[in-house]
Amino acid sequence: MTSPFPVSSSAPGEGRIVVQLLPHGISALSAITFQYPLKLISPSPAAGQKSILVFLLTYGGGLVGGDQVHLTIDVKPEAKLSIVTQGHTKIFKSPSRDVITRQRLHVTLQDNAALCLLPDPVQPFKGSVYEQSQKFTLADTASLCLLDWVSAGRRARGEDWDLLAWRGRNEVWAAAESGGKPRLLLRDNVILEGDAADSKEKALRNKMQPTGIFGTLVLKGPLVEGLAAFILAEFAALPRIGARDFRSQDKMDKDNGLMLSPEENWRQARLKQEEADSVLWSAARVRGCTVVKFGARTVEGGRLWIGNLLKQDGSISRLFGDDSTMCVR
Amino acid sequence: MSSDTVDSSQSQAIEDEIVELEGRLEKAKARLNKAQVNQGPSIPPAKIPSSDVPLTSPTHHFLLLLSDSALPLGSFAFSSGLESYLAHTRPKSSFPTFLNFSLSSYASTTLPFVLAAHRHPIDLLELDDALDAAIMCTVGRRASVAQGRALLSIWDRSFKSALPAGASTAAVEALKEFTVLLRATSSNITTHLPTASAHLGPLFGAIAVILGMSLRQTAYVFMLSHVKALLSAAVRASMFGPYHAQKMLASVEVQEGIQKVIQQEWETKIEDAGQSVPVMDLWIGRHEMLYSRIFNS
Repeated sequence: MTSPFPVSSSAPGEGRIVVQLLPHGISALSAITFQYPLKLISPSPAAGQKSILVFLLTYGGGLVGGDQVHLTIDVKPEAKLSIVTQGHTKIFKSPSRDVITRQRLHVTLQDNAALCLLPDPVQPFKGSVYEQSQKFTLADTASLCLLDWVSAGRRARGEDWDLLAWRGRNEVWAAAESGGKPRLLLRDNVILEGDAADSKEKALRNKMQPTGIFGTLVLKGPLVEGLAAFILAEFAALPRIGARDFRSQDKMDKDNGLMLSPEENWRQARLKQEEADSVLWSAARVRGCTVVKFGARTVEGGRLWIGNLLKQDGSISRLFGDDSTMCVR
Repeated sequence: MSSDTVDSSQSQAIEDEIVELEGRLEKAKARLNKAQVNQGPSIPPAKIPSSDVPLTSPTHHFLLLLSDSALPLGSFAFSSGLESYLAHTRPKSSFPTFLNFSLSSYASTTLPFVLAAHRHPIDLLELDDALDAAIMCTVGRRASVAQGRALLSIWDRSFKSALPAGASTAAVEALKEFTVLLRATSSNITTHLPTASAHLGPLFGAIAVILGMSLRQTAYVFMLSHVKALLSAAVRASMFGPYHAQKMLASVEVQEGIQKVIQQEWETKIEDAGQSVPVMDLWIGRHEMLYSRIFNS
């Protein structure tokens, strides 16, 4: 018997989000579809919300070996979307190296549209094989704030970069101008190749030491320009490595008695945290984008650090609403 | 029957003679060897055999030029993150560890572009642009562009006039167009997205194929030059002396290390090129944070 219902247009793991601006200036979903193992939830819109919030979830909180997720997002002109997760995206063990768990994301941001993607870290379990590919096509005036981070695995179970393979690719493209081709602005590719099960030497662990989390923050567009400038300024203001303090003890005591500005106090506290959690970071401008790379000894240390930076600047919460930063608090 | 016995006795006699002659030959050879050892070096051959000395072909001439550490690329100014690594890991720094990381990282990020440019030199401009989009830090970009521009100058001013016979005219033309575009870009700095940057990797591949080097030679020379630059930087950063550096350069570990990474990246598409040692980006990016530095990267 033929089904009376229309044929489903979505395939397993496929999802689609379309965001548009309503006449009274609020961003709203005009389409949201998803199929197992992908799950998308959006809280009902509240008056005065700054962006529409979508939870990117998976059944069971993770992806089992071989799962394929493919999410397409289209943000229409002037609209704003924030995507968060509820806890680490767990990547379970694959039965063999050939069974690849994949997550693909295709995002189009139209004129003056904005996306804030601040998820929890991806947590690849021992023996997992994972590929993540995220492609963002931005109109000239669109804005993007993207965080992509990966942890060493289940530390409580003694996992320490015991994954089999992990690949994360983030591409930022400039949308084609009339008659032209889209232009690649940025291609950030991180490749972690694990060791064979029988190998004694832990080559990947040695490469990653002593980091327990490694992340990349990509910023592009007018809305996040302030945050980018703030981070670059903080990077430039880092104390020089190997510098020595040539002041006399008297002078130091005198200087310590001086009132520091709130910014300087905040910076000193952050530098202490960077030292305590062995946070290493660098920031650079790459062809109109700003790329921040960071590593920290623990996941919590990394989260604290990036959250602190975003909070001090404050523009993400102001533009996208407080909920957009819930994963880095 | 009787004729057979005569034959067999004759052949027996000949065989005996052969055995005796062989014995004499051996003895004569032994005497000659002895005499030569006493004489010192062996007598030079009358003429250079062309079959086992390949250095006569222009290809090998250019192979030696490109692998020469006196090639004026300015590589001595860059340590590819070694200086920063030392500052970040003191006192637990280890050169062999860093060398392994650096080989793996440089091969996974850059070698696919060298190979791609060698295979399709006419795509030079696109490869250069794609590599520019894939370098995540200012310091690394500066190092790659400085050496790439130097190589392009060497090509333009020195190699171009000595093209080997049979060089691909399409590739030469692509290189010429690239040079013109690069000049136009440098005079027009206002655009934040350069049309051409001149990164070392793709240019090395394109120039090597024009000069007739094989794909494997190109990959090997490219990686070996990287190792040589690192060792030279290590000597100048007073990690060890020049003899130790030569010892490492000659070692089986370095030879195997280079072969291994070439094998790994042989089939890698440029879209899949990426950082295999993430912390390397941090070390190279943080080079600017060093209080005192002797290198540019």
